[in-house]
Amino acid sequence: MTSSDMDYLTIALPKGKLFAPSAEMLAKVGCTAEDLSENSRKLVITNEKEKLHFIITKTADLPTYIEYGAADIGIIGKDVLLEEEKDLYELLDLRFGLCRMMVAVPEALKREKLSDYAHMRVATKYPRIAESYFHSMGIQMEFIKLNGSIELAPMVGLAEIIVDLVETGRTLKANNLLEVATIQPVTARFIANRVSFKLKFDRINRITEELRTLLEGVVTL
Amino acid sequence: MFLFMKQHEFVPQVPYGTRDFLPREASQKRAVEGALAQLFANWGYDEVVTPTIEYLETMTVGVGNDLDQHMFKFFDKNNRILALRPDMTTPMARVAATRFKGSPSPMKLFYITNVFRYEQAQAGRQCEFYQAGVEIMGASEPAADAEVIALAVESMLKSGLQKFQIGLGQVDFINGIMEQSELSLVQRQQIKHAMVTRDLVGLGEILVKSGLSQSDQTLLKHIPLLHGREDMLKQAYSMVTNDKSRRALDNLANIYHLLENYGVSQYVDFDLGIIRDFEYYTGMVFEGYTPGLGFPICGGGRYDTMLNSFGMNCGATGFALGIERVLLALERQGIDGTQNCKGIYIGWNKENLVKAIKQADTLRDSGCSVELAVIPESCAQAKESQKSKGYEKLVYVE
Repeated sequence: MTSSDMDYLTIALPKGKLFAPSAEMLAKVGCTAEDLSENSRKLVITNEKEKLHFIITKTADLPTYIEYGAADIGIIGKDVLLEEEKDLYELLDLRFGLCRMMVAVPEALKREKLSDYAHMRVATKYPRIAESYFHSMGIQMEFIKLNGSIELAPMVGLAEIIVDLVETGRTLKANNLLEVATIQPVTARFIANRVSFKLKFDRINRITEELRTLLEGVVTL
Repeated sequence: MFLFMKQHEFVPQVPYGTRDFLPREASQKRAVEGALAQLFANWGYDEVVTPTIEYLETMTVGVGNDLDQHMFKFFDKNNRILALRPDMTTPMARVAATRFKGSPSPMKLFYITNVFRYEQAQAGRQCEFYQAGVEIMGASEPAADAEVIALAVESMLKSGLQKFQIGLGQVDFINGIMEQSELSLVQRQQIKHAMVTRDLVGLGEILVKSGLSQSDQTLLKHIPLLHGREDMLKQAYSMVTNDKSRRALDNLANIYHLLENYGVSQYVDFDLGIIRDFEYYTGMVFEGYTPGLGFPICGGGRYDTMLNSFGMNCGATGFALGIERVLLALERQGIDGTQNCKGIYIGWNKENLVKAIKQADTLRDSGCSVELAVIPESCAQAKESQKSKGYEKLVYVE
């Protein structure tokens, strides 16, 4: 089972928060499978009738599956796309999973301008995004890559600043962190492998258009 | 890195992004390259070999700044900056413009060689990789473009691939639309960048902010999806009003007509969304795709201004095929291009080496591939050697 099988379309879905809305949205345009669930023991879930394979991957790995062509299409957050910088088609903004990538500091450390934070330590799960953001502002920083619980870093003196993805900002408040800059809003994106998009164009384009129609319907309601 | 290293054990490594071709892979590579060299020669192309290193200034003349940061660079004794060639088109253009000045035109040249680009290495995409390609220099006619595409199709067939598709587009289609619109230079660059990076969401966002009319926005947003056969060209024709875009479409129709006569049009689709990453393309551009390979297997196009920057005013067109990508695709599609069988192993017992040499000579003359043992073996030992080395037959001289 790889994307070299021209009859099948392989769809990659991310584990975690985006899984349920992604699966639901795809189901609305006819892309689903009987036992498609995040907790499935099966690694590849197949719908023989519709000629679909589903794979469920760790979020950060999903663009890699798509870039190599191990999966043809998939759904993933823009944050992961920005961080991973993979060569693939970003076809559609699916508008769910809205979060924002932002910079936060402990209230006590608040300064007037962003450039006042120069050369401080930034803890983040997204070093590439953080670096390119500060770089674009002409500010040099030290970056510390962490894999989770970013809010902890300033509390224990590992870093002064964090760059992280937030949805409501409640966690920030609970930890006395203050948002000082928004880098960019982030939503779920519909993506495709660059060769699959050409070789399986009709099928992928049809799904894209159906998703687009679905989204436009949501807006007008 | 040191974690798994045993003490006192030195494990030499190859530099990042390079690889060894072991005998099986090397023989497959040789087979594909041999078939391609034969094919190019049959089509009347002459081989050219250029230096692995060139002056950086030569390499950036045609390629532009995009590739600059992907080049391996170093200094010569006089502190001039050298670069390992990141592609072969620029060296070929340099050769044509300097060494072949005044030669009968057009020139048809081919190469099969390694090129170097510093990028994130992955399967089928190393920092050092092999390319086979052709260039026609001194011809601006669609006939030259059609020949290049037909030869690209034949190359993939000769390599053993059966399933592949070529997407054919033309950069002038997009350029025409953008020139007609009132976009600023920055906006045009942003739009092109979004298209090159295949970020259609970003493209939409730029267009919304661009101040373009709704119809122009729709048109530009639609370009990456303009994909299909001849009826798509007609559809695209009715979507644009400017001369440049329409001439681009006429040109594609002309090329396609010739490809029908070459008998390869079934492998070719139109795809106006193709913008190759290289800045030097000026006319038709194309990419080849094969199932199981997540990135293009070949690509090329027309680059009319590059020779000009080397002081020779003429049109040029060509393509390059990634050898490792061909090998990977063959493997993934379960196609084995080479014979695994290695011929004959000759073993000999004491004092029979002379006889064995004669025997090997005769067999080699008759066209067999023969390995001659270098130390005496018993018959059982020789059998063992034949088996472990994978020879089909054993000749034992006693």
